Amino acid sequence: MGEILPRLLRALATTIQISVLALLLGTVFGLLLGIARVIGPRLFYPVIDGYIFVVRSTPFALQVYAAFFLLPRAGIDLPLFVVGVLALLFNSVGYQIEIVRPALESVDKEQREAADSLGMTRWLAMWLVILPQAARRMVPPLTNELANLVKASSVLSVIAVYELTRAGHAIIASSYKFAEVLILVAALYFVTIQLLSWGAAYLERRIFTYRSGQPI
Amino acid sequence: MEDAPLLFAGLDVRFMVEIFPRMVQALLVTVQISALALLLGIVLGIPLGGLRVIGPRPLQLLIQGLVSYIRGTPQILHFLVVYFALPGVGILLDEYWTGVVALTVIAVGYEVEIVRAAIESVHKGQREAALAQGMTEPMAFWLILLPQATRRMLPALTNELINVIKASALLSVIAVNELTKVGNAIIYNTFYFVEVLLEVAVLYMLVIGALSWLSKYLENKVFSFGAALSTPETR
Repeated sequence: MGEILPRLLRALATTIQISVLALLLGTVFGLLLGIARVIGPRLFYPVIDGYIFVVRSTPFALQVYAAFFLLPRAGIDLPLFVVGVLALLFNSVGYQIEIVRPALESVDKEQREAADSLGMTRWLAMWLVILPQAARRMVPPLTNELANLVKASSVLSVIAVYELTRAGHAIIASSYKFAEVLILVAALYFVTIQLLSWGAAYLERRIFTYRSGQPI
Repeated sequence: MEDAPLLFAGLDVRFMVEIFPRMVQALLVTVQISALALLLGIVLGIPLGGLRVIGPRPLQLLIQGLVSYIRGTPQILHFLVVYFALPGVGILLDEYWTGVVALTVIAVGYEVEIVRAAIESVHKGQREAALAQGMTEPMAFWLILLPQATRRMLPALTNELINVIKASALLSVIAVNELTKVGNAIIYNTFYFVEVLLEVAVLYMLVIGALSWLSKYLENKVFSFGAALSTPETR
């Protein structure tokens, strides 16, 4: 077990790398689409809702296969790592919009009215008044989302992205020591994901205490 | 003899119609295997969920640990564990039943929590009244708490069926002939990428869309009196 641990740790690093990349890129798109879903032209709403529906009602494995088959078909040849990140990104944005939208909507509407009365445009009010207040409320669910992404990234093993699950599978295939490998892989995932979800719970408590301490 | 391809928006519609019966058959396997796992999950989830609430403390912790393990590790890992461990302990199943067992493991992890939340949502006066009538704790659970909790589980269980159907797509890695696997096989044989993927995605969306509509309906219309139980969405 000690022998294979370094290999698995390196693969865990890849897993975390992929997940963090997808989270950060996803936040950029999630914010843009989430804001558009709240104050953008009404024309966008069904498009964004449709996208969320597609992401949420198809299995992630199918989305991974689709990226794997369709990107080269469209003449876009990318390394597997990048295909994996893109598949995870496509999936994550669908969930992150639904983190951003409620956070924006949870900011008291008086805040917007006050910004309005100061002569701010809707977009300026969003940028200067609403988004900064909503951003802190997005932090706990986004930490949770990272935990979900670490879990979801295991599916990328089906297209041979060399992350933790794939590495475990490869070592099993060459050594047949499935019990040892699976226990180690499970433990690594479990610790990583538990740390992240404790982090999310901690942040949630911190942010809620902070809010309740604010003057009304 | 072969007709010219019937194109619509660049897609070969004739081919899509041709593979449709195979796709529907594969979809039935997906739904069947998921429903089976959900039901087996309930059979295990009710006693485990019950013990999680009224069982002895060490057992509660053990069940809680099991639940955190199942929910805190990737689903595909459970498939690998079941796939390798069952033959390791001398249990030989075909792919289909291996898939059912693996999906059941995933389903149980969430259903224990659904059962627990539903039981805890029943007013505690109910349990106290039952105990005051001289019922034992297991009797109160079985005769008083569970029947009231069962109705409240239905929306959450519908959501869980959605999660299990989505998880079943991963069974393609252990060669179960469910929808994703069959779609991939057709792609490798024919190289009709877009047509097949589109059809597979639409079939999933129809089933999952219908189920999530049903779950919302149950939650809003039928169960509006009870505490809303939610189940986390997995991918």
